[in-house]
Amino acid sequence: MKVLIIEDEPRLAENIARSLRESAGYAVDIAHDGQEGSFLAEDDSYDVVLLDLMLPKVDGVQILKNIRKMGRGTPVLVVTARDDKESVVTLLNAGADDYVTKPFDLGELLARTKALIRRGKGQPSPVLKIADLELNTVNRTVTRAGRPVSLTAMEYRVLEYLAHRPRAVVSKTELLEHLYDYNWEKFSNVIEVYISGLRRKLNDSNSKQLIHTSRGQGYVLHE
Amino acid sequence: MPQPSIKRRLILIFVLAQALLAIGLVLTGAYYTHKRLVAALDASLQGRAMSIAALVRYDEDDSGKVYFDEAIVPPSLDPEHPDLYAIWSETSGLLAKSANWPQGLQIGTHERHHFDVRWNQVHYRGLRISEVPILDREPGASFAPQTLTIVYAAPTHRVAEQVRAAAIFIAFSSFLLVCLTSALALWGIRRGLSPLQQLAEKAAKVSAQNWKIDIPNEAQHMVELRPLTESMTTMLARLERSFTQQREFLGNATHELKTPVAVLKSTLQSLLHRPRSMDEYRTGIEEALEDMKRLEKLLEWMLRLARAEQWAHGALRRDLQVVDIGATCEEAVERIQAIAQPRGIKLHVAREVSLRLRADPEDLQLIWVNLLENAVRYSSDGTTVDLTVTMAGDSRARIAFADHGVGIPEDDLPHIFERFYRGDRSRARSTGGFGLGLAIAKALTEAYGGTITATSQLGQGTTITVELPLNAGPEVPEVEAIQQP
Repeated sequence: MKVLIIEDEPRLAENIARSLRESAGYAVDIAHDGQEGSFLAEDDSYDVVLLDLMLPKVDGVQILKNIRKMGRGTPVLVVTARDDKESVVTLLNAGADDYVTKPFDLGELLARTKALIRRGKGQPSPVLKIADLELNTVNRTVTRAGRPVSLTAMEYRVLEYLAHRPRAVVSKTELLEHLYDYNWEKFSNVIEVYISGLRRKLNDSNSKQLIHTSRGQGYVLHE
Repeated sequence: MPQPSIKRRLILIFVLAQALLAIGLVLTGAYYTHKRLVAALDASLQGRAMSIAALVRYDEDDSGKVYFDEAIVPPSLDPEHPDLYAIWSETSGLLAKSANWPQGLQIGTHERHHFDVRWNQVHYRGLRISEVPILDREPGASFAPQTLTIVYAAPTHRVAEQVRAAAIFIAFSSFLLVCLTSALALWGIRRGLSPLQQLAEKAAKVSAQNWKIDIPNEAQHMVELRPLTESMTTMLARLERSFTQQREFLGNATHELKTPVAVLKSTLQSLLHRPRSMDEYRTGIEEALEDMKRLEKLLEWMLRLARAEQWAHGALRRDLQVVDIGATCEEAVERIQAIAQPRGIKLHVAREVSLRLRADPEDLQLIWVNLLENAVRYSSDGTTVDLTVTMAGDSRARIAFADHGVGIPEDDLPHIFERFYRGDRSRARSTGGFGLGLAIAKALTEAYGGTITATSQLGQGTTITVELPLNAGPEVPEVEAIQQP
């Protein structure tokens, strides 16, 4: 998963980014002003955008409107210092999906971010199930037919992304875009490595293959 | 004890005045009645004395002797207390006297006078007339004509009774009138005070949410109430301004505090997020301390601004002394050198005149330091900040701070003196500004009755000009402006 943080206070952005990387293994990009943020948000490779409102150059609400005007459905979590009803209503009406007020609890921010990503992928439950495969996105554990499967951080992230979009073909580029921050291109041939690792760990001698290769297009997770 | 009441006081004054009037009326009425009755009595005494005199006749024998025909004395007015009379002739002496004539009654010897006498517990009023001619002398009689002296007195208790009756009548009718007019006055006062009541009702509706007072028409046009309504309106306007300012300040302050608190909180929370090495903890705590310092600095600036604004409203008094503006500028420049020098920015002070005014030197320094800091912050490296002190007109000092930096966009210019306003937040943050320095400078300048203005050209630089009146310090009129060439 990839998160865009648009926040002009560098220390705050850094703290949030660190927590997202450490606790959820997300890739995080940071924009320090409205202009940069607006430019980055045009890219649809982000699974969620964390948006501060008071920004230099381009106002947060304006960025929000721009994103929605472009028809992007990317979930947006607004981080604001104002918690009066009026501004909350304005925010939600401008297309925000959720908001937290400063000073927020980092744990809550992470939980809300995860929830928004799930909902953005049409997966309301934090536990994703495909056949006998189960992914718990809260504590990041995986079981196959009740048997725990031990994955590396990157293998988990690849599986989680695929599990969020079951039965859909996910291209290698899409995976790269969503799993790495802006300099993903240099990792272009590592995806095959993770996929083969996953296939090996998820499959016993007699169980069904879950990750399928759609030749020339990408990978699909289904029974 | 009853509470003091204007209505009660007015009624009391009114009733007292009325009572005084009534008493006066009773007294003057009684006096007048008495006077008129006594005059009437005097007239009747005169008539009766004359009719008694007419009873004295000359003898028909032409001897010139006189006699008194007692048989036809007219009856007394009051049979219980008969009139007194006595009559003397020049030659024969006492001719006659009434049966009840008191022994040893002393009567003055004026030719004609009235007197009052008390006899047998009865008050009498008497008249003495002398030189009364006897009327029936035949013309051509040989004897010399005689004159008579008559004393006639009648009891006066009738007069006293009538005076008392008149007094009682006047007193009674006055009392009725006083009651009537007091009732009228009560109604009138109540009615007259009703605008005050309405005003109070409207005033009760004023609250922190609603500062407008809708002064009733009647109260507005009432001459006596006008000073009150006018001062109420101005007072409310002042209160509202001050209250709004406080509320805005509080709102701004809490808003501005949220971000640094969020930074600190997130730093600590992410530190606790998972077990870390000693080095990581150390870095984390150092970062938290950095965040803390920023927060502390922001609080300090806020307090400074709050104090400056409070003082601008006359809430605090300072030690005022005669201060040389130029000298305080030099000191401020010294303090700013530390941030100007590393960036190669020169601070140049031009003071052609020495201007003094009564002020707290700390305040002036704070204004200059804030403006210099702002100028340096937005200066390009290696440029000069010019500070000039000149006279503006006869009684104002003009202190201008000109930088050669990025300038301020036209849209931002009207707002730069607002609290927490930062045209470009990221830039302000990188230079450590909170958007409070200019607000503090403005509040302090205005506390001294001065003005602060800014002009700017993008890419050329900004000039901020402070004008301070030299002869009108805050609450101290005796200010001296000493000009030295």
